[in-house]
Amino acid sequence: MNWKKTFAIVRREYVERVRTKAFWFSTLIIPIFFLGYVGIQISASRKTGGERHIVVVDPSGALVQPLAQELSAVEAEQNEKHSETKGPHWIVTRYEGGADLETAKESLRKQVLAKTINGYLILDPTKLARDSQDVEYYSTTVSDFIVLNQLERALNRIRMRQKMEKQGLSPELANELEKRITFNTFKVTESGTAEEKGAGIMAAVIFMILMYTTLIIYGSQVMRGVIEEKSNRIVEIVIASVRPTELMLGKMIGIGLVGLTQYLVWSFVAMNLSLPGIATLVAAGDMGMPRIPASMLVYFIVFFILGYFVYAGIYMAIAAPFNTDQEAQQLSMIPIVLILAGMMIYPAVMNNPSSSTSVLFSLIPFTASMVMFLRTAVSEPPAWQIALSMAILLATTIGMAWFAGRVYRVGILMYGKKPTIPEILRWVRYSPGKAAQPARPEA
Amino acid sequence: MTTPIAIELLDVSKSFGKFRAVDGLTLRVPRGAMFGLLGPNGAGKTTTLRMIMNITAPDTGEIRILGHPMDRDMQNRIGYLPEERGLYRKMRVIDHLYFLAAIKEVSRDLARQRIEGWLEKMDLKPWLNKKVDELSKGMQQKIQFIATIVHDPDILILDEPFSGLDPINVALMRDYFLDFRARGKTIIFCTHVLEQAEKLCDEICLMARSRKILEGSMKELKRRYAQDLLRLSIDASLADVTALPGVASAKAFDGTFIVSLSPGTDRREFLRRTLDRHRVEAFSQKEPELEEIYLDAVRSSGLEETRTIA
Repeated sequence: MNWKKTFAIVRREYVERVRTKAFWFSTLIIPIFFLGYVGIQISASRKTGGERHIVVVDPSGALVQPLAQELSAVEAEQNEKHSETKGPHWIVTRYEGGADLETAKESLRKQVLAKTINGYLILDPTKLARDSQDVEYYSTTVSDFIVLNQLERALNRIRMRQKMEKQGLSPELANELEKRITFNTFKVTESGTAEEKGAGIMAAVIFMILMYTTLIIYGSQVMRGVIEEKSNRIVEIVIASVRPTELMLGKMIGIGLVGLTQYLVWSFVAMNLSLPGIATLVAAGDMGMPRIPASMLVYFIVFFILGYFVYAGIYMAIAAPFNTDQEAQQLSMIPIVLILAGMMIYPAVMNNPSSSTSVLFSLIPFTASMVMFLRTAVSEPPAWQIALSMAILLATTIGMAWFAGRVYRVGILMYGKKPTIPEILRWVRYSPGKAAQPARPEA
Repeated sequence: MTTPIAIELLDVSKSFGKFRAVDGLTLRVPRGAMFGLLGPNGAGKTTTLRMIMNITAPDTGEIRILGHPMDRDMQNRIGYLPEERGLYRKMRVIDHLYFLAAIKEVSRDLARQRIEGWLEKMDLKPWLNKKVDELSKGMQQKIQFIATIVHDPDILILDEPFSGLDPINVALMRDYFLDFRARGKTIIFCTHVLEQAEKLCDEICLMARSRKILEGSMKELKRRYAQDLLRLSIDASLADVTALPGVASAKAFDGTFIVSLSPGTDRREFLRRTLDRHRVEAFSQKEPELEEIYLDAVRSSGLEETRTIA
């Protein structure tokens, strides 16, 4: 192994890829999408601030006053809790027109369209008399989740309080009953207990999806790289200076580093640009702040690297015998199906990270990288299982490199006829002394 | 610097499945020689070069480069231009050459110096920062050549170096080769175009059907074959000439006849007899062309089917 030459290969693979517009496009497009998403959420939550003027059609007149009180109480509470996002400021007025519902609706509809009010609420006395819970709200936007939620909750509270009072219960008790319990979850680990909010598990899933996509993306880049070298006819020039194993390894490392670079850019962007955004988002909703423990990042990188080498080897062996992407297409389904298997098993692993199925899949080399990572993220698997999984991945990497190297050596000098799978397997059996054995050149 | 032999092959054989690509080949390429490995397509030339480069390992036999078995150091002292050659299309010219120099363990500074020198010489300096796929095919071939010699190798191994080149570039390439030889370097190249080999080579090895059928220095081969070949300016028909005693074969050429005498025929005797019958205007010894030597060698080796050469 000549590391100087291998490094030259690594350097070329890395620099040429990182330099392309395509790399930066794909690297930046994902954070941009994410930022865009966050931005939309923020702007949506900002919009909930400001005045909301609603008119209540309440012939009985019993509900307008409590509703106004309730809403201003909610507003006060929210302003106290989150300084960044302001909830809506409600202005509640009673409809002063006649008793006819249809005329009321018609005149209020015009006001909404003229934007003098934001919406109107109909508390139909006939319906209410039948103890129906139907309330109608009319507005130009009825998908404004936070706003509608506040309104609905306020109405429910009022109704509950009124019913309780009717039953002779004190308003204090009514307030007490309204309070909900807060359900906190804690993850028990060897190092102690840590509060676990749903966001941590969500981060694990996001990371796993990331691993799944990058394994496919960078694996197939390895494949395309090998095929490109063959169809370019550059490979024989390179092979005259470096050993096939060096070329293969250099290529894998170079492309793997491109993947890590992409992760680095993503995390940089995430930390510097989107964190305030996430904070706002978190503050606006019920979601907890996603806390990503350092151990998760370490496991992610380690399992990505191990998984990457296994799949890079598979892709390399698949690519070596062929001259065009089309020829390799058929076989390139193999790694995709294997990676997909790891992806499909994930709900089962999430449900029960310690089940025998989860353990099994975290030890099968083709799914191990993803499943074991997920297990470490959502539970605390025994150390020996983690070590075994890593050892199996490492052994598979070495085995795969050996296999791929054999096929590669022979395959890269094969031009012309598309070889059959038995032929490819025969190449693997050639002894090292008989290095490359291309099929008979066309005489 | 001790051995006068640059490349030595001893009884080297190589098979691909049932097909024997190279059969018991023994070859010696002297240092500083321009050595031509000639033969029709499928004769085993490319396989031989690949074995010398250690891209393909021989089944049996031994290959020695400058007295050593092929290893990494040796690989760095050889420049190899394969027949199937290409470049990374998306790379910049300079980066590409840096890369190919780096895998020969040439430092960047030294590589830069040499690359710039060659690009200047080939009028390609303005293309330094261009991408390879912006270059014409002829320019790409020049880049490939620079890549082959960027590490200043002692030995150049070239597989069909002239294929696809226009006449101007063929001439240019030929000058570079001669330059190289003048600096004491060894060049071994294979071709199926005999005219080029004839103009360039000091030594040749003819291969046909995986075997060596003839080898030696060009001068010596020509001398050996010249003795049987005569050029006659004569007032007679081709049939008359063919009918002359001692004539193995004859063909009309440019108003004269090229006569090949049957082995053992005395030239003076032949001339006397011819003068008796016809009016001879001119008579000279014809230097054989490589093609004639080649055909004759193939014929006498009993491998007639491979006569068809490009």
